Amino acid sequence: MKKEPVKIILLIIFSLILLFPIYILFMSAFKGPGELFVVSLWPKSITFDNLKTVLNPKFLNSIKNSLFVSTTVTVIAMILHSMCGYALARLSFPGKKLIFTTIISTLMIPTTTILVPLFMVCKGLGIENSYAGLIIPAFFNAYGIFLFRQFYLDFPKELEEAAEVEGCGKVRLFVQIVLPLSKPMIVPLTIAFFLGTWNNYLWPLIINKKEEYQTIQVYLANMVSGYSTPWNEVIATAASSAVPVFLLFLLLQKQLKEGIKVTGIK
Amino acid sequence: MKKSNISKRKRREYLTAYAFILPDFLGLFVFVIIPIIYAFYISFFEWDFINDKVFIGAANYIRMWKDTNWWSAMLRTLKLTALYVPLLFGLSLFFAVLISTVKSRAGSFVKTSFLMPFAITSVIASTLWMFLYNEKRGYLNAVFKALGLSNQKFLGSGRQALICVIVVLLWINLGYNMILFLSAIKDIPESYYEAATLDGADRWHIFRYITFPLIRQTSIFILVTTTIASFQVLDLIMVMTKGGPAKATEVGALYIYDRSFNMMEMGYGSALSVFLFLSLLVFSFVQMRITSEEQGENV
Repeated sequence: MKKEPVKIILLIIFSLILLFPIYILFMSAFKGPGELFVVSLWPKSITFDNLKTVLNPKFLNSIKNSLFVSTTVTVIAMILHSMCGYALARLSFPGKKLIFTTIISTLMIPTTTILVPLFMVCKGLGIENSYAGLIIPAFFNAYGIFLFRQFYLDFPKELEEAAEVEGCGKVRLFVQIVLPLSKPMIVPLTIAFFLGTWNNYLWPLIINKKEEYQTIQVYLANMVSGYSTPWNEVIATAASSAVPVFLLFLLLQKQLKEGIKVTGIK
Repeated sequence: MKKSNISKRKRREYLTAYAFILPDFLGLFVFVIIPIIYAFYISFFEWDFINDKVFIGAANYIRMWKDTNWWSAMLRTLKLTALYVPLLFGLSLFFAVLISTVKSRAGSFVKTSFLMPFAITSVIASTLWMFLYNEKRGYLNAVFKALGLSNQKFLGSGRQALICVIVVLLWINLGYNMILFLSAIKDIPESYYEAATLDGADRWHIFRYITFPLIRQTSIFILVTTTIASFQVLDLIMVMTKGGPAKATEVGALYIYDRSFNMMEMGYGSALSVFLFLSLLVFSFVQMRITSEEQGENV
């Protein structure tokens, strides 16, 4: 049996190896052009020039777009999926089983295999090159519905019965009683949907060609796609664009760790 | 009188239920179900997105059968899966077990550090690792030099590029899967371990006969989701290598993307998509069958 200190040292060494690239990212953002590729653990002279160059209107606009798209997707997905999951778990209606099976079967369809036809559907609907094209297809995720359904299956029956006795309709019951009690599922799914949408690169790349709707991932990826890469700017842009999610991560670590357990999705 | 009241209430419940389900159902129909049917349909046509579609029967599938570039790309996907899935599974399980036995407060620091790369997006990770992998002046070659190893080409080398991509995938996803394993391990009642220790079981036996069988659900979940994800790795490769050098990282998903969106061969791209979809379906079905059979044996 290994002794506790040995295990801790092993774990900490490995943690530092995992953290090392992130440290390099943030540290290098403050290095001057001549120094960027000089391997060191600390800049010889700290400069803010890179950050001043990269925090330009195009960058800020793409951050704004990503924030707007991710927030909208998350909020609307939460509303739609909680409603749908609730109905599938707690309401009775004809065709329930068929509807549930259809919804669950869409889980087997991986997004990358439908990129081409999804693009064509969106083009047909006339929502390419717009916020709508970035946002609307991202709502629909059977896993979110499934998790809400599982959550509501375990919901205490007494609550609904009491409400029914008092003559409260199903809609009011859902909005006023069920939703406020759904926090244990809404919090982790909010994190999962937000991170998932924020992280998405392929779909925004395909559906939008207009600079005004460009998301931060596409903006950053475009910087390294040319023949010569302006590494000082790339590193500073990558570091700056990591800040919002990092702040969120540090604030919500506990919920994130719990959330992974509950949702198991990215 | 009472009866009609009940049926009226029932009818209102039906209506509420349909209203609650309709938006999601319609959305899934339009943005998931129609596309997969459409992909199947288009796969029988030749279409460059500009001119009219031409029906060509199974020609796209015959072309796929003979397309050696496609099969080499799929072979690379399988190679990536065969390397990445066991590595991710083994490493995250190893560290989860290790952390679960540590009582110190350092455990919390370790968990947070492992999860940090998860807060980084694929594109940021790609650009960052391109910087680290830099052939002439990157940090990794500096570390290699300090360790007395020779200079490596990394992403610029046909033999190393795919492995370099896998390293980044592991770096991003290790913490996340480790946390999944860890919470499954924590759900095992302490009394199981105590009983086993009293019976004189050693660490390996405890792991083999208590921990591992009891986290089987999580193991299956991680195996299936990671396999599906590994078939679809696209963003990292598109940013870091674009399939190069000399096609060394051109995986199946990238080949489909290239055919469809760069060569504008929508019909052929759709046929390949349909094939990838069906093979994934078979793959995860087989994987679930195997893992659930093993479970049967152990019970």
